[in-house]
Amino acid sequence: MADTDSLTDDALVERFSHLMVDRNKAGLLRGWLAHELRMNRCADCGHWHHPPRPMCPACWSWNVSPTTVSGLGRVHLLMRLHQGPPAPGVDYAEGPYPVVTVELDEQPNLRFTSTVINSAPDKIAIGMRVKLAWIERHGAPFPVFEPAPESEVQA
Amino acid sequence: MTRNPIKDQVSFVGVGTTGFTRTSDHSSLALALDASTRAIRDAGLDKADINGVVSVGEPGAPGPEVLATALGLTNVTHFTKPTPVVMNSIVDAMNAIYAGSCDTVLVCSSMLRAPWNSRSAANDPFRRHLGGTIGGGIPETINMAPAYTAWASRYMHEYGVGKEPFGRIAVNMRTNAAQNPIAAMRAPITLDDYYAARMIREPLCLLDMDVPVDGADALVLTTTERAKSLPHRPVALHAATVGLGTSDEDQLPSLARHGQHVVIEALKAKSDLWLEDVDIFFPYDGFTIITLAWFENTGWCPPGGAAKFLADNWDTDTNRIVIDGRIPVNPHGGSLSEGATRGTGHIREAIVQLRGDAGERQVPGAKTALVTPGGFFFNPQGAILRAV
Repeated sequence: MADTDSLTDDALVERFSHLMVDRNKAGLLRGWLAHELRMNRCADCGHWHHPPRPMCPACWSWNVSPTTVSGLGRVHLLMRLHQGPPAPGVDYAEGPYPVVTVELDEQPNLRFTSTVINSAPDKIAIGMRVKLAWIERHGAPFPVFEPAPESEVQA
Repeated sequence: MTRNPIKDQVSFVGVGTTGFTRTSDHSSLALALDASTRAIRDAGLDKADINGVVSVGEPGAPGPEVLATALGLTNVTHFTKPTPVVMNSIVDAMNAIYAGSCDTVLVCSSMLRAPWNSRSAANDPFRRHLGGTIGGGIPETINMAPAYTAWASRYMHEYGVGKEPFGRIAVNMRTNAAQNPIAAMRAPITLDDYYAARMIREPLCLLDMDVPVDGADALVLTTTERAKSLPHRPVALHAATVGLGTSDEDQLPSLARHGQHVVIEALKAKSDLWLEDVDIFFPYDGFTIITLAWFENTGWCPPGGAAKFLADNWDTDTNRIVIDGRIPVNPHGGSLSEGATRGTGHIREAIVQLRGDAGERQVPGAKTALVTPGGFFFNPQGAILRAV
């Protein structure tokens, strides 16, 4: 998606003005615009880390770059917010809002935190298989998860 | 790291507190000055004696230079603003005294409810400078406080435990707070009250979370040698440490290895005293899951064993935890009921108890306390305090 990768830094920060965008997060957010979840990966030792930082914490290489993950994983942590920060499309009065930390298939302990859509709230559980999906928030794509069949694995 | 040349060399000699409320209209500086002057007077000292000032870096709290100037101190040779929670400040004061950077240190922590953690605080225009949101300000994060709910879900999943042990922690604190006149929440609760409490971030409810309060604690420390000539029985820092785990809440590898484990390994290596010597246990209780983890990680019981341990050590007559029929847990009511002091309440109560000054809460003959402030990530800490 060359279009989003060539977006100017000013335009990127403007597009995500509701978030605190710093230089370390820019690659992650450029990925969102391309509907890709990109996590920092070391080109020298292959280690993934998150949140994005400029140096590999495993081998101290600076050769790290935002790299697209499959988006497949398993719910590791789960909470249901009965109240919480306001956000477009989130109505706590309708029922508790699920927040999940998903362990991604790429590496043990590599995780991303978001919500789960397209599932009855009481069906969401720790250990559940999920895959990446996208919603719109503040006029920009926002990565979420949805249920995935146990059989679906990384291509 | 087993060196501990500072063992017993620095002691607490003064404590001062404003008490804790959910209705105060004092500024953070006013609270800090009230607690500080009480602590210095309690130590039998005057402003001329204080040449170190350590101010815990709580939101809205005065920096050490402001606090020192407002107190009229004129010979300060050490002043710092360590990151919360409390032990970073105590370890800094301890080290500064032992190294000779200063002789007598005032440590002050002033808590002010922020607009995001209290409805009445949100309506107070003088708190707007404290900011409006916690964490990233979006629902889909476990940064900061929500992390404890998220990891509580994992704890319950891995060990197959329900809410009962969480409820016992909440009930214990409220039972104890009934004996503490400066506690914010003193009405006793039962396990049934706990189960009926409003969910906030499920699986944790209102009674799993500490109580936002306004108030300040201040402590005065000096050399144990000098402490012996001051009015109160000195309470020495036998061993003290902080421990850093993985600081990214959602990337923590496992409940089996985080900052609490770093703390306990360091503390055990430094200390001549351990659980068999402890008369009072002060685990942090900003969230009930943190307390369960401290019970397990200090070694009172194995990982996942807190539910059984608390049931086995529950005193049904008084409706609270008494370990081995002898050792109470947070006799002041902890952060859950005295108020969210982020550890200063635990330290203050340990000092008062070891002096023998705790009145109707006094644990008979208490000589040694284990205090474990902080959670899992960037603020786990521990100390062994002993009466000299």
